[in-house]
Amino acid sequence: MKHILKLHVNGEEFEIFAEVNKTLLEVLREDLGFTGTKRGCDLGACGACTVLVDGKPQLSCLTLATAVQGKKIITIEGLAQKGELHPLQKAFIEKGAIQCGFCTPGMILTAKAFLDEHPHPSEGETKKAISGNLCRCTGYVKIVEAILSVNENQ
Amino acid sequence: MRDEGWMPYAPCAFHKEVNMRLPKFEYLEPRSLKEAAKALAADPGGTLLLAGGTDLIVNMKHGVIQPKRLINLRAIPKLAYLSEGKDGLSIGALTTLHELASSPLIQKKYPVLSQTAEEVAAYAHQVMGTLSGNLCQGNRCRFYNQSVFWRSVRPACYKAGGEVCHVVRKPKECHSTYCGDMAPVLIAMDAKMKLVSPVGERILSLKRLYTQNGKKPLSLKKGEILKEIFVPFPSGQTLYLKWRLRDSLEFPIVSLALHLEKNRENRIDKARIIFSGVGTGPVEASGAEKILQDGPLDDPTIEKASNQAVKEISPLRTSITSPAYKRKMAGILLRQALEKISS
Repeated sequence: MKHILKLHVNGEEFEIFAEVNKTLLEVLREDLGFTGTKRGCDLGACGACTVLVDGKPQLSCLTLATAVQGKKIITIEGLAQKGELHPLQKAFIEKGAIQCGFCTPGMILTAKAFLDEHPHPSEGETKKAISGNLCRCTGYVKIVEAILSVNENQ
Repeated sequence: MRDEGWMPYAPCAFHKEVNMRLPKFEYLEPRSLKEAAKALAADPGGTLLLAGGTDLIVNMKHGVIQPKRLINLRAIPKLAYLSEGKDGLSIGALTTLHELASSPLIQKKYPVLSQTAEEVAAYAHQVMGTLSGNLCQGNRCRFYNQSVFWRSVRPACYKAGGEVCHVVRKPKECHSTYCGDMAPVLIAMDAKMKLVSPVGERILSLKRLYTQNGKKPLSLKKGEILKEIFVPFPSGQTLYLKWRLRDSLEFPIVSLALHLEKNRENRIDKARIIFSGVGTGPVEASGAEKILQDGPLDDPTIEKASNQAVKEISPLRTSITSPAYKRKMAGILLRQALEKISS
């Protein structure tokens, strides 16, 4: 069953003709070209596909694209504003919180939603918030440092 | 020298499956629960309800569930709410676990609910997952919750449409395990549910939602949908202890919800002990509850109750942890919980 799908991604409206059984991850990567959203396990266990839907983290591999029509979707491509990186992106670069980079989009978006809810988190709260995002390079120490450094700078 | 038939990237079952597409289905967005209930009743075999999708979509990708039609309940407005009345708390069925975990009202007056919601999977799952979806989640088994490739080495199990349960190697039985977190706590707190069907509404105690049948774990009738969960105002102490392989993104190996009400003489008026992860539904240890009843909470009673609880559960090898380990941990969890309350 194909239908017209209207999605609001990174401040832009998109209209495509797609199958109803497509996940948000598939539409973002294959139809809209937002390949910053990564496909890891495809089963909701690794967090690499995390995007923000109305400001909250969602696993795009377990979300039907058709079910998030009318909602504001932000992918990693939509985080920088007018060519200026988001403070979290800068912090990840400064602290060296990126190794292979595969988990980074999901990590940053989860961290963004978390910091929006808890502007002054403890280290423990931060670790818990990103516990659904796996980094197989195991570079967690730098990632946690980067997230905690964002509110220190503000 | 390489064999001639050797191909560096030969297509095989595994490579085909790396791309896990959802099978085709019809999709429905009803505007009301009544409309959803009618659509569900019209085709009970082929239609399934979609809430957060964190359980259902995974099972669909694994090919163990193949619905003809999905009804997205999230399209229905006003099903996510928390409202406190005189007798207790009403929770809309589609309230997310994150809303439960972060609500100041729940944190203050029903802290065990927010703590439990926070123990389910991880942040993004809590944002997506709903309370009703968590209560109605599918039973789990190491032979069932696997990819098509993994399962292809043996005939389909009874739950997945075959003949034999691979856990007990017997036909027409299913011993898949209920691993939900919210259900044991809500049962211990005597929660009730409001169910909507095309013919009307009915109230059912949450405990009676679970059939203890692995193949069909829920007692919902044709076209019935969960609308609201009612939690009476807490009159005692409730604890939830979850034992798992790591502190996030895991189902329980075994978990325990303990509810105790004490009277003025510090004796126990009421005890509820509910385990998850050890049976085909949430399991109540009524023998251990009887031992606690009317007694003081001293060391010999705690020891006796924990030993009794171990005898009342009979987990099978449905996950990577052994039944003996689960039983042992169940006793330890109960002892920890009772000691925590007594101190």
